[in-house]
Amino acid sequence: MIHITVTVDQEHLRVIGDVASVLRAKGMHVEQVLDNIGIITGSLPEDRRPDLESAEGVESVDEQRNFQLAPPDSGVQ
Amino acid sequence: MIEAASSGSGGSGTAAEAETTGRYIVIFAGTDTDASAVLSSAAGLSNVASSRDFRNRGADLSETRDADATVFASLGMAVVSANAEQAAALQASSGSQGKVISVVPELVHRVLTDSSSVYAHGYRDGVADLTARLDSGADTGNGSGDRPANFEDSATATWGLQATRATSSPQSGKGIKVAVLDTGFDASHPDFAGRNVTAESFTPGESAQDGHGHGTHCIGTACGPRSPSTGPRYGVAYEADIFAGKVLGNAGSGNDGGILAGIDWAVSNDCAVISMSLGADVAQVHPPYTAAGRRALQQGSLIVAAAGNNAERDAGNFGFVGTPANSPFIIATAALNQQLKLAGFSARSAPARGGQVDVAGPGFEVYSSWPMPERYKTISGTSMATPHAAGIAALWAGATGHRGLELWATIVQEAQRLHAPSVDVGAGLVLAPQ
Repeated sequence: MIHITVTVDQEHLRVIGDVASVLRAKGMHVEQVLDNIGIITGSLPEDRRPDLESAEGVESVDEQRNFQLAPPDSGVQ
Repeated sequence: MIEAASSGSGGSGTAAEAETTGRYIVIFAGTDTDASAVLSSAAGLSNVASSRDFRNRGADLSETRDADATVFASLGMAVVSANAEQAAALQASSGSQGKVISVVPELVHRVLTDSSSVYAHGYRDGVADLTARLDSGADTGNGSGDRPANFEDSATATWGLQATRATSSPQSGKGIKVAVLDTGFDASHPDFAGRNVTAESFTPGESAQDGHGHGTHCIGTACGPRSPSTGPRYGVAYEADIFAGKVLGNAGSGNDGGILAGIDWAVSNDCAVISMSLGADVAQVHPPYTAAGRRALQQGSLIVAAAGNNAERDAGNFGFVGTPANSPFIIATAALNQQLKLAGFSARSAPARGGQVDVAGPGFEVYSSWPMPERYKTISGTSMATPHAAGIAALWAGATGHRGLELWATIVQEAQRLHAPSVDVGAGLVLAPQ
C-alpha cells in the first residue's frame, strides 16, 4: 500500500465527491476529501495507481511525502 | 525608459533639484471628482480640455495646447498652466473642499542617455563609491542604505521586531485570522491568556497540545503579545486571531495528508495568512502544493513557507528551496541575521518554476515563546523567519484589506531591498506598515 494525494482538476472541483466515489471504485481507500483545495488523500495498492491517474477529474496522483523537524534542542530549526 | 531629469545632470546618480516646466500637476481626490468645476471655482481656469473628449485615442497635446488645463479623467489628474497664485489657490482648496490631494510642479523627463561617456562616468563613480566603502570599512552587504545594520534584542523588543519595524507599526492584526500549521500550541502558556485561539489536530492520536516546542515558538513570533508578562515583546501581529493547526506530531514529523488537511481547514476558516515553517529537501515541485497554494490564494488565504535550512554556505553549499515553499503559489522565506545578512543555512532559489526565494525575514537567534515550564527559547532557522513574514502579512492585511495575490504583491512591494543577491533573499526584508 502507498499513501497518496490525488489532486482534482479545476473542472471537477464542484463534483469532488463524485470523483472520490470513482476513486473508491478503483480500489483507493479514501481518508479525506478536502473540498476547499480540491485534494483527496488516502492509500491504495501500488499496482492500481495507473487506474487512478487515468480517472476522470484527476489532475495528478502523488505519493505522500514525509516532513521531519529538527529535535527541540537543535539550534537550527 | 524615462526618468526625471536633474539639472546639471552628469549621470552621477546623486539627487539634485529637479528641472520643472512651470506648469503644475493637480491630483484630485478621486477619478469621479468634477475636475473642471474645481479648476474653475478654485483658480478661475475655464479653458479646460479633458481626455474624455478624445475617447480612447489619447489626449492629443497639439489640440490642447491652448487650454489652461488638460484633465486626465481616468487618472484623476490634470496638467495646469497656472501662475503661483492660482497654484496656491488650488493647493488651499485641498483643505476647504477635500477635492484636491496635492498640487506639484510638472517635472521635465528625458530619455536616459546611453552614450559611452555617461556610461564611463557612471562606471567611474561606481568604482569610486566602492573604494570609499571599502576604505571606510563600511558594510556593502546590508540593506539599510548608507549605514550598516546591527540589530540586537533590547529590553522592550526582539531584534527581529525592530528590523521589520513591527515595533513602530500602528497595526496589530486585530480581526485578522492567522493559521500556523506546525507542532501545535501550548494552551497553558501565560503570554496567550485571553487570546482568541482555535486549535485543531491533524495528527492522528495526538491532541493539539504542543509536545515539541517548534509550533509554540512560531505562533509566538507571528502572533505573540504586545506586552508579555516578562521580557521583551517578540510577536508581530499581537491582536490577530490564532489558528493553531497541528500537522506535525510531537516527534516533529508529519506528512502531506495532515498538512493539506490543515491548509483546507485554514482556508475554510478564512485565514488571511497561513504560516508553514516546514519543508522537505526535495527540489521537484510537488503538484498538491501547486494546486493547494493556487486555490488558497483564490479564496483569500496567503501561504508563507520556510525556504529551508539545507545550505552550508561556509562550505560552499548554497542549498535549494524545497517543497512546499517551491510551489509557485507559496511564498518562500529566507533567514537573515542581525546584520541583515543571509544566515549560512538559508537555502538559495531552485531553478524550477516556483523555486525562487520570495522574501526574507529575521531567522537567526530568534527569541520567542516555548512550552512551559521553559516559557521562552532562542533558536535559528528559516522556520523562525517564516512567522515574521506571516505576521507582517497579517499587519498588511489589516492595513489594506488586501487578500490573496494582492496581499502577496503588497508585502513584496513594501519589502526593504538588500544588497544580497535576489536568488538568496528575493525582494528583501519584509517590513510592517507604518
